[in-house]
Amino acid sequence: MTDIFEAVDFLREAAEPALRRFIRGHRGASYAEVRFESMFGRVAVAHDGEPRDSNESEAAALGITVHHSGAGGITGHGQTGAEIGRLALSHNKLLASLNTALGDAFERARANAREKARVTKLLGGGARELSLSGLIEPSNVRDEVEAIFVRDPRTLTSGEMMNLCREGSTAVSALGSEIAYNAVAATTELRHELFVNSAGALISQRFAFAQGDCYVVAQSGSGHQEIYDTIGQQRGFEALNEGWRDELMPNPPLPRFALELADEARQLARAPVLQPPDREVVVVTDPHFNALVAHEIVGHPSEADRALKMEAAYAGRSWLLHSLEQNQIGRPIGSPLLWACSDPGLNGYGHYRYDHEGTPGRRIVHLEGGVFRGFLNSRATAAALGVEPNGSARASEAWHVPLVRMSNTFFMPGETDPQQIISDVEHGYYVCGNSIPSIAESRENFRISARRVYEIEHGQLGRLFRSGSVMADSKRFFTLVDAVGNDLRLIAIPNCGKGQPMQVKRMSNGGPTLRSRARLGGSS
Amino acid sequence: MRTLNELKRFVKEAAGLLAREKDLAAYEVYCSTGEHKVVRLNYTSDIPSRGIEEFKSLDADGFALRIVTRRDPHETGSASIAGDLSAASVREALTRARHSLIIDPHFPGFPTDPRRLDQAASAVEHSDLLRVKDTVLATAAWDTIAAAITTLYQQAPLKLAHPGFVLGGDLSLIRDRIALINSAFEDIRSDESAHFISSVTVLVEGFDAKGTATGIGGSLAELQNTAARLGRDAVARALELRHGEHPDAGQYRVVLGPQPVAEILNYVVMPSLTTRAFQAASSAYQGRFGAEVMDPRLSLIDEPDSRQSPLRRRITCEGLPSGKTELIRGGRLVGLLSTFYDSHRLVTDERREEKLGPSAVEFKPEFAPGSAYRLGEGASRRFDSHPGANATSVIMRAHEGVDQKDLLASVREGIYIGRVWYTYPINGQRAGDVTCTISGDSYVIRDGKLAAPLAPNCLRINANIEHIFAHPLSIGRKSEPAIVWGAPELYFVPALAVADLRLSPVGASESD
Repeated sequence: MTDIFEAVDFLREAAEPALRRFIRGHRGASYAEVRFESMFGRVAVAHDGEPRDSNESEAAALGITVHHSGAGGITGHGQTGAEIGRLALSHNKLLASLNTALGDAFERARANAREKARVTKLLGGGARELSLSGLIEPSNVRDEVEAIFVRDPRTLTSGEMMNLCREGSTAVSALGSEIAYNAVAATTELRHELFVNSAGALISQRFAFAQGDCYVVAQSGSGHQEIYDTIGQQRGFEALNEGWRDELMPNPPLPRFALELADEARQLARAPVLQPPDREVVVVTDPHFNALVAHEIVGHPSEADRALKMEAAYAGRSWLLHSLEQNQIGRPIGSPLLWACSDPGLNGYGHYRYDHEGTPGRRIVHLEGGVFRGFLNSRATAAALGVEPNGSARASEAWHVPLVRMSNTFFMPGETDPQQIISDVEHGYYVCGNSIPSIAESRENFRISARRVYEIEHGQLGRLFRSGSVMADSKRFFTLVDAVGNDLRLIAIPNCGKGQPMQVKRMSNGGPTLRSRARLGGSS
Repeated sequence: MRTLNELKRFVKEAAGLLAREKDLAAYEVYCSTGEHKVVRLNYTSDIPSRGIEEFKSLDADGFALRIVTRRDPHETGSASIAGDLSAASVREALTRARHSLIIDPHFPGFPTDPRRLDQAASAVEHSDLLRVKDTVLATAAWDTIAAAITTLYQQAPLKLAHPGFVLGGDLSLIRDRIALINSAFEDIRSDESAHFISSVTVLVEGFDAKGTATGIGGSLAELQNTAARLGRDAVARALELRHGEHPDAGQYRVVLGPQPVAEILNYVVMPSLTTRAFQAASSAYQGRFGAEVMDPRLSLIDEPDSRQSPLRRRITCEGLPSGKTELIRGGRLVGLLSTFYDSHRLVTDERREEKLGPSAVEFKPEFAPGSAYRLGEGASRRFDSHPGANATSVIMRAHEGVDQKDLLASVREGIYIGRVWYTYPINGQRAGDVTCTISGDSYVIRDGKLAAPLAPNCLRINANIEHIFAHPLSIGRKSEPAIVWGAPELYFVPALAVADLRLSPVGASESD
C-alpha cells in the first residue's frame, strides 16, 4: 500500500476476523471493538501578511476497547489508543499493531475486573452501585457514508492555501497602524473512519473539513481589542476560497471574513469600555452570541455523562440533573417561547450519521416550549438513565475514548423579525458576537463576554461599547426570554474541549436573536 | 514505548540521509515517543457506575523534519510522520517537507550554539515509573476508590437515603523520550521524563459538600503511597466542608490559596509572559517589560530542572539546554518564555520598542530561547507539534512571606478561597480581566480564623490580575504544589491575601 486511506479498506475485510480470533483466544473477553481512522490534512498560516507556516500531514490511528467478564459476573474494561501512522501501510504491521493494542486493552480490562472484584468484596454492600457495565447493549449496524466536497484536500497545493491566507492577512495589515497583529489560517482535511465490533457492527464514514481562522489585535490610543473567529464547513477548499452560501451557516471567502473581522476590531479599539448599569437590564442577543449560550448553557449541561457526574472532577456537573429521581426532565426551565435541540443530521460543522459507538445520530429536542426534554447520551449513559441511546458518543480522534458530545446544537427559530425585537425596546442593550465564556460548576450561572455591545434607546441602536459581558443565572435568563427571532444561524465551533486528557472537537452552535433580561459586566 | 537508543539511532540515520541532499542548506530531525496512561475514576452512590470509567493509554511515536533550502535561507518546509521510524519514512517526510516550502522572511534558521553538549545521564533513566505495569495502576486506582468509600462510611453518620456521594478524578502516568539533531549540532541531544499526577474530587451532594486532593510524583513508591491517601483526604475535606454558608455579593478581603493562584497564573498571567504574546501585542503586560507589574515581594520563575518538581526537562525541543527563566524579579517583569523563532521575531520587530515599552531599554533583553517544547495533550512531548514557549515548573516565591496564621490575620474578616473553576481572561488576554467561580475547599474567615465552610459554587470572582498581584495584603511563605486541569506545567505557588475582591452571587438551580 502507498495510500494511507487504503488501510481502511483493508481493515474493513480484516478487522472482523481479527476480533473473532481475539475473542476466541482470550478467556473472559466478552466484547471487543476497534475504531480506526486515516486522515490527510493541510494547513497554511500567514502572520501580518507574510507566510508563517505550511504543513501537510497524514495520520492513521487505532482505538480499542475490550471488556473482560470474570468470576461473579464482574466486568472490567480497558482501552488502548495508538497513533500508528505509516505502519498502517503494511498489512502485516497494521494487523500486528491491532493485535498488540487488543492484547494491551485486554490486560487492562482483566486487571480492572480483578481489582474491582477485590474492592467489591472488601466493601461488602458499600460498593453496590458498580453495576453499569452489565446494562450496555452494543451496536450491530452496518453502513457506509461518503464525504461531500468539490476540491479533495489531497489535490491542493500548499501554494493555493498560502495564497488565500496571505491575501486575507495582507488586506488586514493594509488597514493601517491600528492593526497591531493579525494571523490568518486555513485548514483542509479528509478523514475516513471505521468502526467494527464483535457484535457485528461495521460502519465506514468519510468526512471533509474546511476551516478558516482569523485572529486580530487592534489598538487605538489607549484602547485595544483582540478578536478571534472561525468559519468552517464539512466541505472542501471551495468553502474557503469561494465562500459558502447556505441559509443556516453561510460564510464569505476567507480573505473577506478576515477583513470584516479586522474592521470590527479596529472599530472596537476606538470604542469605550462598557460601564455596566448596576441592575438587571433588557438584553437583545444576536445569533453569534447565542451560539455560545446554546453551547455552554444548553449543550454541555445536556450531556448525560456530565449530568450523571462522570465529569464532576473536570468540566463539572449539570444543573439539569441532581439525581435520577430529582431532575428537570419534563419540567419548565425557560420561557414557553424557547426551543432548543441537537441535530447531527443538519449540514453544520457537527454533522455525522453515526456516532463512535455505532449508534445512528438523531435530532434530540432539549427544550420544548421551555420544558426540558432530554439529554445527549452514549450507550452507557442511556443505560443508566433507562432510555434509548441517541448517538452522541464521539471521540475527537480514533485514539481517544468517545465522550458524550454536542453535534449541531442550537436554539430553534421563532417568528419575530429581529429588527422588531430591537424596535420594541425602550431602553436596553444589543449584545453581538460571542467572545469568552466562564460558567459556574453545574452551568447554572454564566458570564459570557460579547464582541460588541450597543445601547438601545427608544428602539434605536446607539453607542458602541467594548469589553461587555452578560451575567445571569441560567434558568432566570431562559425564563425571562420574551422574544425569539426568525433569523436562525449556525456558526462553526472548532475547539470544544472535554475529557482527560483534553479532546478538542468540532461542532456547530447557534440560534436566532433572543430578548431577555440580565446584568451586564464590564472591565475590572 | 521505544527506547532512547532506538530514537538516537533513528535520528542519526535520518540526519545522514538529509546531509546527502544537495539542495538543502540546513535541516533538523526531531523524534519522540510518548505514552500517557490514564485511569479515570467515577464512583457514584446513587447512580450506576463502573468505578473505573476509563483505563486507557495513548501512545504516539514519530518524527518531524524541518528543511532549509540553499536557494534562500528563509525558504523552509516541515513534515511529520507517525509510527514508522525507517529510512523510507524519512524520504517520504522529505518529499512532504518540499511540498510545504514557504519563504518566511523572519525564519532565523536553527540554533547553532552550543555545537556540542556535555549531557550527563538523566536521573529519569533510573526512575521505576518508566517500567510500571498496568496492574499496578489498576490496584492504585481501586485503592483510591476503596479508601474513599471506607472513609465516608466510617466518618459520616449517613442517614440519608440518597447521600449523593460522587468520586471522580484520575491517576495519570505520563512518560516521554526525545532525540534530535540539527545540521549545526555536532551531537544528538536527548531527554526523557516520567511523572504521575493524580487528582481526586469528592462530592457529598446530600451535604452540599465538596473536597479535593491531588498528588504528583516521580517514583513508584510515591504513586503507591499516594493512592489511598488521596481517597481518604478528599472525603475528609468534603465532610469538613458540609453545609457551607452562602455569603452575599460584595467586595471581600480574601485569601487565595495555592490552587486559585496557580489557576489565575495559568490562564491569564503565563500566556502573557511569552515573546510571542508581546510580538502579537496581546500580553496583559504590553509595553511594560522591565516595569514593576507585581508586588515587589513577588518573584516568578520557570525552572525546568527543579528538584522540587517531578516533571523535569533538561533539553528543549529545539535541542538547547532547558533554561531557568526569571520572569518576575522583585515584582519587575524581567524575562519571557521563548522559542528560537519567537526570540528572533520579537528582537527584530520594527515595533519592538513600542511593544516592550520604555523600561525595556535598561534591561537590553535577549530572550534566551530556553522554553521551546512540542507538547500535545497533557504534558507529553509530541513529534507533530511545533515548538511553542511553555513553562515546565512555575515557581512563585515571596520575599517576606508569612505563615497561614498571619495570612488569615491580615484578612481578619473575609473568605479563604481554596479552589476556583473555569478561569478565563474574560475580556481577552491583554485586558487582564479574570472571572471564575469558587468551586470548593473554601471557608468564611472571621476574626482572623477559618470559621465556617463556604458552600461550593455560590460566588463568582470578577477581578483583574493587576489587582490580585500588584497589591496583595500579605503573601504566604511556602510555595505549594498545585495542579491545573489541562495545563502542561506544574505550579508551586504561595497563597495570597487580597483586599476588595469583587464577588457576585451564583443562584442555586432548583435541582440543587
